Amino acid sequence: MSVSLSAFPVGAPHGSRCESDEVFVTLALFVPLLLLAAAGLVLVGSDASRHTRARIAAYPIGAACLGAVATLYQVTTGGPMTIQFYDLSSVASFAIPIGFYVDRLSAVMMTLITGVSVIIYNYSIGYMYQDRHARRYLAMICLTDFVLICMVSSSNLMMLFLFWQILSYLLYVLAHNHAHAGTLAGAFKTFALLRVADTAFLAGIALAYQLYGTLEFQELFARAADTPTVLPLGLGMEISGATAVTLLFFIGAMGKSAQFPIHLWLPGSLFAPTPVHALLHAGIINAGGFLINRLAPLFGLSPTTLHVAFVIGTLTAILGATMMLAQNDIKKTLGFSTIGQMGYMIMECGLGAFSLAVFHLVAHGLFKATVFLNCGNVIHKARQDPHSPHVEHPEDEEGLSWLTWLTGFVTTLFIPLLILLVMHGILRIPLLESQGTVIFLFFIWITSSQAILTLTRLRRVASWKVSAAMLVTLLFIVFVYLFAVESFTEFLYPDPDEVASYFRAADLPDWLFDLIILAATILTVASWSYLYMTAHGRTLKMPAWIEGLRVRLYLPFLNRLYADEVYQLLGDTIMRLVHQLDKRERGWSR
Amino acid sequence: MMDGALMSWLLAGIPLLGALASLPLWSHPERLKFSSVVWSVISLGSIAGLATQLPTPPEGLLPLYLLPLAAVISLLGQPAHEDHRLSWIMTLIFLGLGVAVLTSQPRAGNLILMLLLGMNAILLHRYHSVLWPMSWWGIGTYGFGALCALLAIAADHPLSSIASLLACAVLLPLIPFHDGHLTALTRLPGSLPSFIVLMLPVVGLHRLAIVLPTVPDAVAWTLSLLALVGAAYGAVKALAQSRVRLLLAYGSLSFFSMLWWFAAATRTATPRAALMVGTVGLATSGLLVAWQVVRTRYGDDVDPQAISGLASGMPQYAVLLSLLALAAMGLPPFGVFAGFMGLLLSSPFPSTVGLFITLLAWLAASWYIMQMVQRLLFGLRRPELRYTDLLRAELASLLIVVLVLLALGLAPATLFASEQASPRINAAKESITWNR
Repeated sequence: MSVSLSAFPVGAPHGSRCESDEVFVTLALFVPLLLLAAAGLVLVGSDASRHTRARIAAYPIGAACLGAVATLYQVTTGGPMTIQFYDLSSVASFAIPIGFYVDRLSAVMMTLITGVSVIIYNYSIGYMYQDRHARRYLAMICLTDFVLICMVSSSNLMMLFLFWQILSYLLYVLAHNHAHAGTLAGAFKTFALLRVADTAFLAGIALAYQLYGTLEFQELFARAADTPTVLPLGLGMEISGATAVTLLFFIGAMGKSAQFPIHLWLPGSLFAPTPVHALLHAGIINAGGFLINRLAPLFGLSPTTLHVAFVIGTLTAILGATMMLAQNDIKKTLGFSTIGQMGYMIMECGLGAFSLAVFHLVAHGLFKATVFLNCGNVIHKARQDPHSPHVEHPEDEEGLSWLTWLTGFVTTLFIPLLILLVMHGILRIPLLESQGTVIFLFFIWITSSQAILTLTRLRRVASWKVSAAMLVTLLFIVFVYLFAVESFTEFLYPDPDEVASYFRAADLPDWLFDLIILAATILTVASWSYLYMTAHGRTLKMPAWIEGLRVRLYLPFLNRLYADEVYQLLGDTIMRLVHQLDKRERGWSR
Repeated sequence: MMDGALMSWLLAGIPLLGALASLPLWSHPERLKFSSVVWSVISLGSIAGLATQLPTPPEGLLPLYLLPLAAVISLLGQPAHEDHRLSWIMTLIFLGLGVAVLTSQPRAGNLILMLLLGMNAILLHRYHSVLWPMSWWGIGTYGFGALCALLAIAADHPLSSIASLLACAVLLPLIPFHDGHLTALTRLPGSLPSFIVLMLPVVGLHRLAIVLPTVPDAVAWTLSLLALVGAAYGAVKALAQSRVRLLLAYGSLSFFSMLWWFAAATRTATPRAALMVGTVGLATSGLLVAWQVVRTRYGDDVDPQAISGLASGMPQYAVLLSLLALAAMGLPPFGVFAGFMGLLLSSPFPSTVGLFITLLAWLAASWYIMQMVQRLLFGLRRPELRYTDLLRAELASLLIVVLVLLALGLAPATLFASEQASPRINAAKESITWNR
């Protein structure tokens, strides 16, 4: 076994290593170990001291968070760190090569995970105070954090897969309550669906190794770029090696990130304690996005996979958001909101905007953790106060004033134009060369326009203050967001050519690109026109089936498109076939 | 320096001597069990001390270490009941014979193999019941295996190779010669099923390592096909079972068939193959011991559907069974996963369809094993059941299995033998050529 420590960019001379760098490398290693120590502290000891130990364990978690921040600083200034407990040239290494590779992406994820963990753990101490299984629960939370940290800092695909698999099982354990039938069924569904995706991931690893002969990230990317391979599919069809491998990896990512049609485990696990959801929605579910980003150079070699990711992501975003609107349970609403957001994130990857996906998952993680940890309070308040949430606005005006219309017009048409100018003129983003960015802008246009529509309907108040507040807030958010995203992209992928190559790889066929832009424009304009006409008492002549569509669609979306039932039917059919086969075959089980 | 043959007989003789020495304790089940455990531990110690001086077979020394270990855990997990006395003595005898096959010359090995298979057939006949007419198939299969072992000695090449291969297919179960495996795991009493599930397959792999390089291409292709059918068949049958021992028997058949597929592709049995066979056998052995714990408490004919809620009443048992289940379904960081990954990465795939079937069988294990575990451990506590957590011997038995499986999952695959070449690079080069 060999231990190789380096805190330098790949290719840098090892002779220039200094002591402070080794301190940071050791510090990076301590981040997961501190989380493991916290799990041990909670788990081992007498029952009488369990509350004290639970509180003390918060300190190593906090220290791990500080360590992650220090690691982020170090990799930002000094380049990636590599810690290998194996020697690639020796066959006498561990069966599973244990090693860590911490670059900016890993460090960002480590900081996010440990930061969210600190909050969730401290919240959980109080939340689970009187639960008799609190000790096991808190230890599992720490263990899950440990596994997540190891996963995001893996130096090779094998180790990543190892922790990926453990994470699937931990999710099953965390999501289940062994005395509650519904929870058990949900936990089993979670495990089974994640295993399906994991199997595709495993197939991808095996295929990648067969094609390129390595599972080390940097080597894998280099060999994949240098040795394009083609696999026969039969019937005279062929598929490129990179596409086959990345498609399998993408299915793996789809599982963890709850993409349609293997998204069902997420709403199925909603019986779990609230802090588990916070961790799940802020940390675990990001694994898919992380995987795609970690393998970005490989995904960048396959436009087909990126297009598939775009389609799956868009579909998941639309279906997730629509189903969210129809749910009547706060946890399910948030669950489907997460599915929609994850769809959006995968769509970003599909457009070649890998760094944007990471930015999105960080922002979404922080936001959703806060919302989940607070949703208990909302439920509690609603039970205490029959008027909460407030739905009556007696002071609202009947119609929409000209001021409201003006605000809507400015936000829908003027701000996007401003964004375009800023992007092109100040941020120097080459819009004409990047289809992905343009599609994004149109997506932002649609979503912000829809948000304004919703706000306009909720607040029918003709007030300069409201309009000004809406405009200023929107402008502020959009510009801060644009600058932040641009800076984050430079931070995560310092080479602009690399970023441009991903966008180029994700370029859609021209007709599809035009179609998307046209559909986005029509959708936005039509929404406003519809609102304007209905507000002025005009009616649009529409076929009856379109009129009734909204009502007819409500039930399927409320029932989550009957996907649970479809899966149940599929499972039952498979089991019926299995039993029929079993009965036909002679003897043993009769 | 001791002669190799002498050392082989010494290592094999210790458990046989133990069986002989334990016979006077026949009327005292507890002392008999204790004596059997002690002799198995002595056997383990002697192998640990002397095995490195033996010539290393192609599949490495891991199977040799695992045999006495499996005997220890199988014996420890049994209740000290007089009905199990024969199984303990037979475990020691089988251990001796198994060690003899692994350490002796091929010709002597075939003779001992014949004896081993014949004894299995006799044992199955002894426990044959008219309620289970299917066990005749098992008796017949082991009889056929013994005959093949005899032919392997008597006939010339290529008949001897084919006969030897067929004997291997009985030992390391391959469809359609898997009935012996199913009968042994479901019909034999006491410690025998949990020991045999490891012993016969590792012995089979050892013989396979000798035979495989000599088989013609057409035979290897047929083996690949049978292996894929076996992997799918085992998984489908396991999915349909409600009886635990039958489920485990079919599940292990599925995993052993995967090994056959890889072995037929590479025409060799490497230490990675030994890791796969050894850990699948050990994990199944552990699960059989765990099921024995339930049978000890609720009766031999207990219906698994009638048991639930063990997690709250028997927490130690629940944790160990869960870990064993994870290992058996091929999840990391346990040995089955390491063995499976080792094979997956070191062997070039003969076909993508084969890989797909193998992975589906691997996936199916998560379904049937998890369902079994969930049914037993979770759900409501039943007021009519008395929940008694693991006794010390049971705890030790299951804990040893889990720890060994964990260690095998993390230890280098080449710990028990040096890899002949650098298969990683070779496999990669070959496959790239194949794919271009």
